[in-house]
Amino acid sequence: MKWMATCRETTELASRAMDQRLPFGDRMAMRMHLAICRNCARFDQQLQEMRRLFRVETGADEDVAPGLTAEARQRIATEMQKKLGT
Amino acid sequence: MGTLDTHAWLADHGDYLFRVARRQLHSDELAEDAVQETLLAALSAQARYAGEASPRTWLTGILKHKIVDQIRRNVREVEIPRDADGEEAVDSLFKQDGHWAELVRPWGNPHTEAELSQLRRVLDECADRLKPVMAQVFSLREVAGMETEEICKELDITPTNCWVLLHRARLFMRQCLELNGFSKAGAA
Repeated sequence: MKWMATCRETTELASRAMDQRLPFGDRMAMRMHLAICRNCARFDQQLQEMRRLFRVETGADEDVAPGLTAEARQRIATEMQKKLGT
Repeated sequence: MGTLDTHAWLADHGDYLFRVARRQLHSDELAEDAVQETLLAALSAQARYAGEASPRTWLTGILKHKIVDQIRRNVREVEIPRDADGEEAVDSLFKQDGHWAELVRPWGNPHTEAELSQLRRVLDECADRLKPVMAQVFSLREVAGMETEEICKELDITPTNCWVLLHRARLFMRQCLELNGFSKAGAA
């Protein structure tokens, strides 16, 4: 194990750390690098920020994204009607 | 009585469910299917809805299962890229010595609702641009919140393949957000 990871390796470690607990050596290599590298520290922060934003379901309430079209709504209503009829 | 409730579901929650599904499936067609399956499943299961949660919460719970089903079906149809695919895109972000090729810009700090909406819109657009299999893995992990082990099993890919896909998706998403003006210095 090298004493410190490169930026490229650190992004891989930071990404993997979002999914599992890193082995001790990797964790240390990542922390040391993050402590002195502003670019990678930002990258790490942004990974967490992205997760926060994607997990939040609010926003589905707003009108910014299009909802069901009239046709789609009609198709679904028809299927539901069929199901209720049986 | 059930009939009345059901029609209110589509009218009151249809758009909400569609947006949640759209965000995870990146396709109008698949999202519509997921909403339809959810409402049909809800019809069958309405006897089990005891009013313990709001209808929206209950329906959203069903929708999540339908979304995972859709992704599972969908992912069988797309080719899992070999490890080398996408390597060039990653290469372009870094110099030979492993340093970043360009500065990683700080993101703005969205506070107002308008800023947050704008950010979510860009996030959705960027996610739509991921390669299909990357988008699926990314959605299962970051949107649906599944563990990588589960994802590997579901999609029948190796853990390494899964992490590579996730990592590339994250690198791409970050870069896409930056290019779309979601950075302090880059804001128009």
